[in-house]
Amino acid sequence: MKRSQLGELEELVLLTVGSLYEEAYAVAILNVIKEQTGRNIDVTAIHSVLRRLEKKGFITSSMGGATQERGGRRKKLFVLSQAGRRALDESMEVRMALYNKMPKLAFARIAS
Amino acid sequence: MKPQPPKWADRFLEWYCNPDLLEDLQGDLHEIFAEKIATGKARSARFYFVWCVLRSFRFSVINRDSKLKNTTLMMTKNNFKIAFRVLWNDKFNTLLSLAGLAIGITCFILMGFYVKQELSYDQFNTKKDRIYRVWLKEVYGPDQIFFNSVTPIIFEKTLEDNFGEIETVVQFDKINYLVGQGNDRYNENVGVISPEFFNVFDFPLIKGNTETPLQDRNNIVLSESYAQKYFGLRDPIGQALPVQIGEEVREFIVSAVYADIPKESSVRFDMAISNENNKDIYGERAMTAWFNVSPETYVLIKDNANINSVEAGIPAVVMSNLKERVNPGEYNIGFQPLTDIHLNTEIPVGKAPVGNPTYVYILAIISVLVLVTAGVNYTTLSIGQSLKRSKEVGVRKVMGAMRTSLVNQYLSESLLISFFAVLVGIALAHVALPIFNDLTGADVSLSFEPWHMLLYIGLILLIGLASGIYPALVLSRLRVISILQGKRQSNSKHYIRKGMVVFQFVITVFLICSTLIMRKQLNYIQTKDLGINYNTTVSVPLYPDPAANRLSTAISSAMEKGNLLKEKLNQYGSISDIGMGSHVFGTDGWASLAYTDDEGNFRRFRLLDVDPYYMNTFNIKIKSGRSFDPESGLDKRQSIILNQEAVDYFGIKDPIGKRLPGKGFGDHVIIGVTDNFNYSSLHNAVEPLVITQNVVPIFQGISDNGFGDSPIPKLVFRYSGAQLTQVKNILEKEWKNTFPGEELNFSFVEDNMKAQYASENRMSKLVTVSTILSIIIASLGLLGLIVLVINSRIKEIGIRKVVGASGLTIFRLLASSFAMQLLLGILLSIPITYWLMSGWLNDFAYRIDIGIDTFVLGSLIALVLAFIAIGYHTVKAAMVNPVDSIRTE
Repeated sequence: MKRSQLGELEELVLLTVGSLYEEAYAVAILNVIKEQTGRNIDVTAIHSVLRRLEKKGFITSSMGGATQERGGRRKKLFVLSQAGRRALDESMEVRMALYNKMPKLAFARIAS
Repeated sequence: MKPQPPKWADRFLEWYCNPDLLEDLQGDLHEIFAEKIATGKARSARFYFVWCVLRSFRFSVINRDSKLKNTTLMMTKNNFKIAFRVLWNDKFNTLLSLAGLAIGITCFILMGFYVKQELSYDQFNTKKDRIYRVWLKEVYGPDQIFFNSVTPIIFEKTLEDNFGEIETVVQFDKINYLVGQGNDRYNENVGVISPEFFNVFDFPLIKGNTETPLQDRNNIVLSESYAQKYFGLRDPIGQALPVQIGEEVREFIVSAVYADIPKESSVRFDMAISNENNKDIYGERAMTAWFNVSPETYVLIKDNANINSVEAGIPAVVMSNLKERVNPGEYNIGFQPLTDIHLNTEIPVGKAPVGNPTYVYILAIISVLVLVTAGVNYTTLSIGQSLKRSKEVGVRKVMGAMRTSLVNQYLSESLLISFFAVLVGIALAHVALPIFNDLTGADVSLSFEPWHMLLYIGLILLIGLASGIYPALVLSRLRVISILQGKRQSNSKHYIRKGMVVFQFVITVFLICSTLIMRKQLNYIQTKDLGINYNTTVSVPLYPDPAANRLSTAISSAMEKGNLLKEKLNQYGSISDIGMGSHVFGTDGWASLAYTDDEGNFRRFRLLDVDPYYMNTFNIKIKSGRSFDPESGLDKRQSIILNQEAVDYFGIKDPIGKRLPGKGFGDHVIIGVTDNFNYSSLHNAVEPLVITQNVVPIFQGISDNGFGDSPIPKLVFRYSGAQLTQVKNILEKEWKNTFPGEELNFSFVEDNMKAQYASENRMSKLVTVSTILSIIIASLGLLGLIVLVINSRIKEIGIRKVVGASGLTIFRLLASSFAMQLLLGILLSIPITYWLMSGWLNDFAYRIDIGIDTFVLGSLIALVLAFIAIGYHTVKAAMVNPVDSIRTE
């Protein structure tokens, strides 16, 4: 099977799901991203990213945790799956590997 | 109570949302809403809630189970799926149908845009419904009618003062002046316009004084591209631009720049000055003259006014101004809507060229015909297919399919095909556009506008439904029992199918024959012996002395200047037969003069002013008498030569030594008569012509004149050098030596002759293109049909061969039915072609006969093409080993 690629927002959401552990649902994710990056993302965008990630098998969901302000509706809680974890690891590795190469190259450019 | 999000948005969300997603999504939105309310921003919370509900309305969220899974949608989807599979399975036939339709659509789009462009002239003006052009028709007798769409200058003031219904009157003239200074002097057509002109027409001013651009009589406005031509990247506003008007070179100050005038505008100018300069341009007397026409006049009537009430008031105004000079009904003023100008050939041409409406309509009809051929082609192909698919229909019916659902099924197929065909057609049209423009000389641009989308969708629906409905009905009508028993279907449908094949042939043969006739006619007029020799003849327009204020002195001064150039050119061996004349072959509108003769008849004739060598340059043959003698001073002063038509027209017997029948003329004597050589395009018959070296005695006797072509002399010579480009170098060098600072123009007479038939040539090429396309479509159709017929008779053929039929017999068997249809098509198309093409030929004074040969040739072409289309498969079927075809059942 062709490996699914992670988009930028997808990766961000996936990371947030991982970091929130068992408390990850759309609004919480939204708030964390806003705190961490200052980016103002639409909740609908988060929803569609979550749906996509679930379809790719990177996260799994369960229902639970109704609250008053939700009008007694349950949340959809997301957990990072094995595949999701692996995808994050791989993407981090690639980034780090490239990042570590960078200073040398950059200096070489400047020197010439 | 706690604030709640808007109810309607909540309900909308519940309605469309997939129930699996609803609880979480709705909960999230409510939570965010509560959060925002808590921070005290109720309005923005509500707004954001609605925004999110709308944003969530996307395919992945919508409840597909209940909203999309109803029968109609499901069946439609299924229909298209099946349709796609059917089409994919039979790639050969699909390709044929698709190609045929796509070619038809391409042709339709290209022609359609050409036609649309012709029809959309002047439509861009927002006030187009209120703008009218004024015409003037003076009627003094049956032969004495002067009809013009150019008008006296005084109209502007008269119409403005006398009619409350009129908001503004503006005038527009275009005059050739030398513009620029030093070596950058060019001959330009300078517009002379009323200062309010830009309030009437939608020509946006983009730079400078955009409110009152021609406030001062020394202002000039330029189009964007002309501002660049003269000033490059510099800011043109406030710069001086010299224009030579008469003797005087006047400095005009550029006050504004306007956007280039669109192609589809009848009123066009690249630079313009105010008509406050009229007195300098036309002279004092013209300002109040009622019988001197020059500028076009446009009126803008008030919003709720009616042009009829202006028209009704015209006679009274005319009579109050011209009481003593005209009788009622003699001096008529009328109004023509702006949008009518481009395609109305009944009103004389003014400053703007007029298109030929017949051509536009013919092309519109042809483009529709080609599209219809393509549609019919698809229909016949798919009816043919129905033979193969009767089992499918039977099984569907047994399974309980209703007739309507079967019709829907087959319509889906045709819609799908037409959808792809339109896509391919649009792509092809864009790809082929440059070739199309190049080939036809048309100047079409396919700019995409949103409404085109609607057009294309309409085209898809129209083609899909119109060409699919009949096969769908035929297929769905089949009887279950007879299909499943394997009985042959009734033969009635073959008549319709054959009828359509015949129809297609009618159109194709019609197009082929029309093309042949057009080509023959064009060939005829371009190679007809005109009685003159204009091969490799070059024409160079001369300039009059700016100081010359009368036409006769302007002509003679230009001739004098021409003599200077002539002496220089004489030293070149490759240049011979240098002459000069006021008009040259290849341009229409030679000076037309009129007077009333001794017996009170109104007479018109054309005048050609020449030097003694002109006749020689063009090899004009003298029938009787003699030609001009260069040595004779008397010839220079008073000798004239007539053409045979003039002799007949004036009714002069033994013309040599006589005079023209009129008292007003100065001393002159007829010394020779020429053949009736053609001097205008062959749309017109030869008119009476007087040739002279001295215009003065002739001018003395005439009462009216008209110049469609400038009568300022041109230098003509024959060039015998090996390379035509060299003549340019010679001319440029000698011109610069003789007339520094003036612009050199020259042209080959042959090219001008060809240009006279440019619109006919374009038309012929457009028709040729459509013919080729429709031939391709028809051949594709035939190819599809023959394959089908062969497939359904493959066993029959096998058995026939076993019994002893030769290949030739088989070929005859298969080809004969098509041959009959083709012959019928040919027979039907002959009268249609004859009738339509006679109409076209009537435009020409000199025309070919539509001989039987054209139809024989056209039919042969159609026959040969048809047999090429069916030949390969037919021969293959006739050659096939019967063992292969009848071994298995």
